[in-house]
Amino acid sequence: MSDYVLELKAITKEFPGVKALDNVHFNLKAGEIHALMGENGAGKSTFIKVITGVHLPNKGDVYLNGEKVVFHNPKEATKVGIAAIYQHVTNYPDLSVTENIFMGHEKIKKSTRKIQWKEMHADAKALLESLGSDLNPKTEMGSLSVAKQQIVEIAKALSANAKIIIMDEPTAALTHRESEELYKITERLRDEGVAIIFISHRFEDMYRLADRVTVLRDSQYIGTWDVDGISNDKLVVAMVGREIKQLFPEKQVLIDEELLRVEKLGQAGMFKDISFTLHKGEILGITGLVGAGRSELCQALFGIEPYDEGAVYFEGEKVTIKTPADAVNLGIGYLPEDRQTQSLILQWSISQNITLSSLDKISHKGWLNNQEERKMSKTLAEQVGVKTNSIFNLASSLSGGNQQKVAVAKLLTKDLKVLIFDEPTKGVDIGARSSIYQIMIDLASEGYGIIMISSEMPEVIGLSDRIAVMCEGRITRFLDKDQATQEAILEAAMSKQTSKSQVV
Amino acid sequence: MMESNLIRYVSKFRELGLLGFIIILAIVIQFLNPAFLTLGNLSDMLKNTAILCILALGMMLVLVTRGIDLSIGATLALSGMITALTVSAYPGLSPFLAILLGIIVGSACGVILGLLVSKVGILPIIASLGLMNAFRGMTFWVGGGDWVSAYQMPDSFKGIATSNILGINTLVFIAIIIFLFFYYFVNNTITGRQIYALGSNPDSAKISGINANKVYMLVYTLMGGLSGLAGVLWVSKFASSQGDTASGYELTVIAACILGGVSINGGVGKVIGVLLGAFLLGVLDNGLPLINVSPFWQMGIEGVIILVAVLFNTEIKKKVEKNNRLRRVI
Amino acid sequence: MSTRTINNVQNFSWKRFMLQWEWMLIALIIIIFIVNSSISPYFLNFTSISDATMTFLDKAFIVFPMVMIMIMREIDISVGSTVALASVVMATTFNAGLPMELAIVVCLLVGALCGFFNGFLLVKYRELSAVIVTLSTMILYRGIAYMILEDQSSGGFPSWFSYFGWGYIGPIPFILLLFVILAIGFALLLHKTVFGRQVYAIGSNTTASRFSGVKVDRIKLIVFTLAGVMAAITAIFLTARMGSTRPNVANMYELDVIAMVALGGISTAGGKGKMLGAILAVFVIGYLQYGLGLINIPAQMLLIVIGVLLIASVTVTNLRVKGKFKTSSKSDSKEKVS
Repeated sequence: MSDYVLELKAITKEFPGVKALDNVHFNLKAGEIHALMGENGAGKSTFIKVITGVHLPNKGDVYLNGEKVVFHNPKEATKVGIAAIYQHVTNYPDLSVTENIFMGHEKIKKSTRKIQWKEMHADAKALLESLGSDLNPKTEMGSLSVAKQQIVEIAKALSANAKIIIMDEPTAALTHRESEELYKITERLRDEGVAIIFISHRFEDMYRLADRVTVLRDSQYIGTWDVDGISNDKLVVAMVGREIKQLFPEKQVLIDEELLRVEKLGQAGMFKDISFTLHKGEILGITGLVGAGRSELCQALFGIEPYDEGAVYFEGEKVTIKTPADAVNLGIGYLPEDRQTQSLILQWSISQNITLSSLDKISHKGWLNNQEERKMSKTLAEQVGVKTNSIFNLASSLSGGNQQKVAVAKLLTKDLKVLIFDEPTKGVDIGARSSIYQIMIDLASEGYGIIMISSEMPEVIGLSDRIAVMCEGRITRFLDKDQATQEAILEAAMSKQTSKSQVV
Repeated sequence: MMESNLIRYVSKFRELGLLGFIIILAIVIQFLNPAFLTLGNLSDMLKNTAILCILALGMMLVLVTRGIDLSIGATLALSGMITALTVSAYPGLSPFLAILLGIIVGSACGVILGLLVSKVGILPIIASLGLMNAFRGMTFWVGGGDWVSAYQMPDSFKGIATSNILGINTLVFIAIIIFLFFYYFVNNTITGRQIYALGSNPDSAKISGINANKVYMLVYTLMGGLSGLAGVLWVSKFASSQGDTASGYELTVIAACILGGVSINGGVGKVIGVLLGAFLLGVLDNGLPLINVSPFWQMGIEGVIILVAVLFNTEIKKKVEKNNRLRRVI
Repeated sequence: MSTRTINNVQNFSWKRFMLQWEWMLIALIIIIFIVNSSISPYFLNFTSISDATMTFLDKAFIVFPMVMIMIMREIDISVGSTVALASVVMATTFNAGLPMELAIVVCLLVGALCGFFNGFLLVKYRELSAVIVTLSTMILYRGIAYMILEDQSSGGFPSWFSYFGWGYIGPIPFILLLFVILAIGFALLLHKTVFGRQVYAIGSNTTASRFSGVKVDRIKLIVFTLAGVMAAITAIFLTARMGSTRPNVANMYELDVIAMVALGGISTAGGKGKMLGAILAVFVIGYLQYGLGLINIPAQMLLIVIGVLLIASVTVTNLRVKGKFKTSSKSDSKEKVS
């Protein structure tokens, strides 16, 4: 018998054009919570998919209890007791909780192959109760909150007799209280002998739960440490690859007159009482946990989902923003969080993507002018430094970082004054990251006011002139550049309102 | 709060609402013309609705997988035509074999569509549109452009629609059997649930090890088989088969499903709901002429009801979502 | 910032030029012409061709907006009913004493209204699919047509009205002339204007378009209204050629039109296809029909040919798309089987 329930040796996984995993090692003991850390795009997700049989590695071996195994599909991995709870909830919203729990291993009567609903409902209820939840198993999955769906996913893993459970950023969309509950459940599972791989880029999660931590960076294995045996700074260096300071260009602070003022902005169920100001040349960081209402706030400012209460002043004048077109006409631009679905048209050329939001500039009386389109997109693509040889290449041919540059170039076609960047470096590799930071700083020094939403602590601290921390729909604290530390931000992001009013 | 509870109630018990609407409609019609709720008229109505029910049940599964099948009217016509030609050539053929023949022809049509959707990856709406044309053309072709009319069909064949089994009209009996089969299949078998799982979230279904292509093949073949069956019943009932039999009927079937609460976005659809949806159309078809509504107004009234049902549904759904959001605490 | 220069001159590529679906359709038309003329010596004769063209062009007007609708990843199956309703209202208002000129205007208005209503529902209820909305209005519009005319037919139009059906301008049928003018107009609108570019953007990625400030709702409204107007134009030509109208005219036109558009290489997955392809597809199907008529094959047989042609063409385009976008497997067509 091996010491390890699961061991991966020298795993390499290649996709056309990219090495998603390069010689990665990993091992897992029974009854252990093992944190897997790394920045977005470090290869964590691919790594899990190798363990769960979604991807077959190109090189390397997987050992289960010392024996070599090969999973050709997810079902084979499930059979031997490996279950995964994915970051994006991957359940069946239209089906009941019970069905979600038992999907793939339903209880049936042997003779008639009839599904045994009564037994399944009862088992589901018992399982949920063992996890401290009083959910009705007949409820439709899609009507539950994300936190409750996570619990159902865990129940699903347990019902499949999982001995190894992989949790992929399970706390990402949870509130502080909900995370706390999840921690407890996770610890209970560990005490019962289940081995858990916990993926997160929140240090909080790791310190609270994990026994050991393995770090991946740029698709490579960096190392494994006991959590007690590694300092915070060392871990950051392991994840980021260099001191944070090197990554962020120096910014000349030249905070100028007021551009945007928001007073008591609110949207039912999403955010409330939001007030802040933004000046010319300033970068205002907005951070907080996912689900704190940051993206919703900025989408309201951009007119995608209009706000219900409060007021917005642009250059001192009160304005109403109901559609993205309103926002753009005022001079507010938005770089969406998900560039593949919200920002770019992947099957279009770089050129067409760049000009999409300002077709009026390359047309006369509605007729497109190809010459001007080429000229404009060439200029802007060069300005943001897209690595490509022709503006006619498809956006889908670019790497994540270069796609993001194209998305930024789109914003520059307009006469904007305020730019909202929603998670600008999500899924962008380190190299392209610093050039996006450079672009943002250059834009600020040209006089743009920039609002940057980000969950990446280092970039919030490294770039922002001021930081607004949100928690459960409210701004809990403003921090100036010199006050900003990881601890201060985390504390504000986890703090709860003392006087909580019902919004109904 | 009162209102939000009501909304949740309505959204949960959609079928009850539909049933209530049918009952109110029936009472109104009965009030205006007492001939409505008589045994003779009701059995007439059931007979007329049976074929629609059979087809709507099959269509429900197709819609649940996020698909659509526009070819069923043509499949129905083709299998009806082939069966009618066969029984007119071999009058001694047992009605049971005639039905079987229709089902086989229909299933073959369904298999072709299933292959196009699952293996070739053509969007169901386009694939079934193409096949609709092809099957319709083939119906004219095998029929030589002529009708097969009542005098060419043996009495045993025409008897399918008029005979009784256990005191119930055969058409209705078959519809009941199929309804029971679907009820069991959809709720109590793994395959049945996989259809819903696939429609609810195709990506997760892959991870759960559900063979999507197999499910697509199954639902389209089933749909084809039911259309074939319906074709035989149709031809027997109307005692004629022609090139344009049931032309455009696929849209009535889809309308019954939509009325019954089947979502075109997949994953949602109840057997009872579909049955009630078909019933509602049946009651309208049967009842409106009884209360002297011109038959020419029927289509318009149906259109209004379908549109209102669709919009009502969406409004309810929107309200539920908004309520869920409002209940969140900030 | 970076000083790298990026090329912005697109070289002409023969491969790309020849790999267009439209060549396939042109080849089909040529084959049909060759076969037709070898079967019947009367085919390659100017009058017979222009006569043939007149008979299949009426529904082709709806093809123009349908191309845009399908590029936007929507569909409109109510257009056949809109033709019927517009035609019935035109005939009824005329017979109620309205001058024919005004009746034609009413017809256009009814068409526009029907289309606008579809668009309005779709924009107001974004979560509703176009299949459901236009299926409902398909039943509704034809239902209203039946309410108005019941099983009667209505006609008795002034003689000049038949000009729409049978008139010539010089040697060219009026309908063909109008078709060509509108075809050029719509092709320019789709391929050369901001509006057209935005139509493609909506079909390729609606969210990204909205986030880029494209007025998605307004464009959808306009295009669906255009579909109604074109259906009304079809109604005018159809009614003029038949001399009278009934509520059941233009039955299943929507499916014929969708088939033409799909054969023209416009994918229902959205964002792809050209106006020219659909226009060529109109002629492929039209001349095919005419040719089959020449050799006394019943018109219904054409259905088989159209069906097979449609499926074959979609299969071929599918394979082409798969080959082209190997890298972006995530947004593959499979996901959109809906």
